[in-house]
Amino acid sequence: MASIENISASTPARSTRPNWLVRDLVGLAVILVVAAIGYFLFPNNLALLTRILGVALLVLSIDLVTGFCGIATLGHAALFGAGAYASGIAAVHFGITDPLLMVVVGAVGGAVAGVVSGAVILRGHGLAQLVLSIAVVHLFHEAANKASAYTGGSDGLSGITPDPVFGIFAFDLWGRTAYGFAVALVVITFIVLRLITRSPFGMLCRGIKEDPIRIRAMGASVQGTLLKMYVISGAVAGTGGALNAISTQVVGLDSLSFTLSAEALVMLVLGGTGSLYGALIGTVSFMWFEDFVSAANPFHWLTIVGALLIAVVLFAPRGLYGTGLSFVERFRGNAK
Amino acid sequence: MPKASGLLLDHTMQTVLSVGIDALAYGMVLFVISIGLSVTMGLMRVVNLAHGAFAMIGGYIASYATQMLGFDYGVAILVAVVGTIIIAIPVERFLYRRIYGAPELTQVLMTIGITFCVIGIANYVFGPTLKTIPLPETLRGPVDLGFRSIAAHKLFAIACGVAVAAALWYLIERTSFGVKLRASVDNAAMAASLGVRTRIVYAVSFAVAVGLAAFGGIVGAELLPIEPYYALRYMVTFLVVVSVGGAGSIPGALLACLLLGAIDTTGRYLLPEYGEFFFYLAVIAIVCVFPRGLLGRSR
Amino acid sequence: MKTSILAALAVLALSSTAFADTIKVGVVGPFSGPFAIQGKNFKAGIDAWMALNGAKVGDDDIEIVYRDLPAADPAQSKALAQELVVKEGVQYLAGFYFTPDAMAVTPLLEQANVPLVVMNAATSAIVTKSPLVVRTSFTTWQTSAPMAKVAKERGVKKVITVVSDYGPGVDSENAFKTTFTAEGGEVVDSIRMPLSTNDFSPIMQRVKDSGADAVFAFLPSGPTTLGFVKAYNENGLAKAGVQFLAPGDLTQESDLPALGDAAAGLLTTFHYAVSHDSAENKTFVEAARKAIGNPAELSFPSVGAYDGMHVIYKMIEATSGKQDAQKAVDAVKGLAWESPRGPVSIDAESRHITQNIYLREVAKAEDGSYYNKEIATFEKQGDPGLAALK
Repeated sequence: MASIENISASTPARSTRPNWLVRDLVGLAVILVVAAIGYFLFPNNLALLTRILGVALLVLSIDLVTGFCGIATLGHAALFGAGAYASGIAAVHFGITDPLLMVVVGAVGGAVAGVVSGAVILRGHGLAQLVLSIAVVHLFHEAANKASAYTGGSDGLSGITPDPVFGIFAFDLWGRTAYGFAVALVVITFIVLRLITRSPFGMLCRGIKEDPIRIRAMGASVQGTLLKMYVISGAVAGTGGALNAISTQVVGLDSLSFTLSAEALVMLVLGGTGSLYGALIGTVSFMWFEDFVSAANPFHWLTIVGALLIAVVLFAPRGLYGTGLSFVERFRGNAK
Repeated sequence: MPKASGLLLDHTMQTVLSVGIDALAYGMVLFVISIGLSVTMGLMRVVNLAHGAFAMIGGYIASYATQMLGFDYGVAILVAVVGTIIIAIPVERFLYRRIYGAPELTQVLMTIGITFCVIGIANYVFGPTLKTIPLPETLRGPVDLGFRSIAAHKLFAIACGVAVAAALWYLIERTSFGVKLRASVDNAAMAASLGVRTRIVYAVSFAVAVGLAAFGGIVGAELLPIEPYYALRYMVTFLVVVSVGGAGSIPGALLACLLLGAIDTTGRYLLPEYGEFFFYLAVIAIVCVFPRGLLGRSR
Repeated sequence: MKTSILAALAVLALSSTAFADTIKVGVVGPFSGPFAIQGKNFKAGIDAWMALNGAKVGDDDIEIVYRDLPAADPAQSKALAQELVVKEGVQYLAGFYFTPDAMAVTPLLEQANVPLVVMNAATSAIVTKSPLVVRTSFTTWQTSAPMAKVAKERGVKKVITVVSDYGPGVDSENAFKTTFTAEGGEVVDSIRMPLSTNDFSPIMQRVKDSGADAVFAFLPSGPTTLGFVKAYNENGLAKAGVQFLAPGDLTQESDLPALGDAAAGLLTTFHYAVSHDSAENKTFVEAARKAIGNPAELSFPSVGAYDGMHVIYKMIEATSGKQDAQKAVDAVKGLAWESPRGPVSIDAESRHITQNIYLREVAKAEDGSYYNKEIATFEKQGDPGLAALK
């Protein structure tokens, strides 16, 4: 049973293959079931659910660099926004309106932005890294504001009209197609990321997070590995951005903002870093909570969100998922 | 743009001087507001994103004291600094004490939470309008410098910056409290076993940092007006300034503020359209060359 | 289980809204965050309208559903609008402070069969995005262009424009430049500065160096305005006689107490001043001040919201509460009435509001507070920005 307790621990080498396969399949099933429950419980709120899934991709991509590689960033929306603008511009200015193609364009756009910002951000450590990431996201934001001929500037890039998916499922007012599309994207991304994080490359990244000097001594390239991860992370974030562009049919400067970066990081820490489940749980709980309180009291909800964050630090210091997991562990420990 | 005339050189000189004075004033205002953050981040190792929130609380109290209670400007500053510290004591006791030494991301979560709460409460109590802190007569008018005039309150801000820098440097480098603080930061366990009551040292330094935040919020209010969103609006600026200077280094923060103030002001004079690019490219360049900040301590 | 029953009920309610006796109006605006004051004004305008005209049209009760959108965020805006339409079953969408947020919603309207009444967002192009959009606020072109005529009349020859570098700022710059050049004036320099500018002294230095007789400025209302106006005074431009010209966003009433002496004498052109002298406005201001709580917080978005409600009530009357967006919009085309801001009408072709634009000067009242004093009127102004689009 030891391996079950190790989902987020740093010794996955002990786990045997069939074990993690079963576990991941269970995890995947849980995600699909939750997605289906969401669809049937909130058939009138699919736009919100779709938006949550878009942001979930961003949070997953932050988890890749922050949770798995230990890179601190407050500028990850740069990659998300790059993907959103790439697919939006492709649709508006170049007539690429097939949603699947738009996602590909978005992922490529995000990956390119990942190379650029990774090259800058990886030059620092700790606080310096944080500041570099802030500078990068501001530069991206300003560049998009300046290139208003392509991006629409602060008025936003509107007029994105994606074709029906596979030529059959049109994007409707209720957002059913968009939701299904989003769930599919998230599930595929999740599977790919699961494979990546379990691969030797993923192990190497975790190793760098634990002890970069030892990894270097082993002869691996720390910067090269991290940059690769940054590119993967960019593709994931770009996919999220593209999803956002497709489902809302408009892209705004806010998708490249410091605020979005910070909010996404908060969601990740809320859920628990270093685990894909934590990223998903953090996004869903934060955004659902925010939507709930801001609808209940549109004027003073910020205080309540603040109180929630404080409460999480006080009572669930390892994030919702991490603390939940250790709670389960303790329970098991007592049962033995 | 300078006009082409026989007096070109003279005119250029004047412009350079004039922009220089603006840069100095702006840099000093930045310094007064952010130096408290340098103390929390560098000496106490807390990524305190709620720094702006405390500056804002100071501003609100000062505004209330002058406008509603009719206090003198100087008295209002004192009341606001003390008032903010009093508000901060329970916050430190119950919230910050839990995150000393915690991972940076946990600190980010907690301090952003505090910031959200403060914004919400300020919006509820004082409303969303701008609040001002009326200056005394002596600081209101312009002062003639010969080649141009400058607002008296800017000179006041410069003076405050110099005074704060000197006082802090003295406190940290020359007093026994400073010795204890540096000892607690470098090795809390060792300091404690040598009889330093680290808990009190931390509480006092937190109070100093918060007091400085409040003071900065008031002195800088002419440039960064007090409103509920203040706490988030300038958060990035404070964070950048402190990191560029090297967290915990007083001379470093001073140098960073003057340098970034100069870059920002010159950029905005020469090419205002690209002002943001100027500023952040400069930040990237500086951080890449000095990864620990201009005068950061090596660890 | 309970929720799914509720959901089923909601779907039922949606399909039968035509016969329901509660008509919902969804209002999206910045009710928290940096622009909370503008959202508060939306609510005050709506509350004032309901207080004066009742919460009923015919037999139908009117219910307002508020949703918060703190800053420009089109994706969130679309999600909120979708939720309002699908889940809350609103028959009308209204509010929208920022242009991109309104733009994001326009593709929904036809399918949802819902009209959109824009209560603020001021970029000309919004009304062209869907035939179901009606706007009761103003456009930046509409309020900026008359200032060029004022400048010309006052003998100003050379102007420097200084605007925040974003959509409305650029609109304002274009509006002024186009009109002023057509009038034979000269714009000697145009500066666009980042939104995040805090210290305006270097900009004022540029203004000084340019040798212009006047500076035309646009910044979003709020904290930066304060710094800008103060810098204008402190750098001796006011003393040197460089005129300060701007659209009224810069001297909105809720910022005036903070601006204080620094604002005295500033000239602005705008569609509404709280001080407007008319019986309609007196009634409105009284009701709106009561609604907002602190009378000093009342400013222009409230009147856009108030007139927006006027239009929505007319739409509901015309359709007798049945959901028919096109009929509702057609009913208010050409509608004319006496608003608190003066006589207004909805232009039948553009569906934008035609209104008087006033030249105002910031003046000191007897009680020592400052207000926008209307000193000249440009009657029945349409939106020149739409013509410029073509």
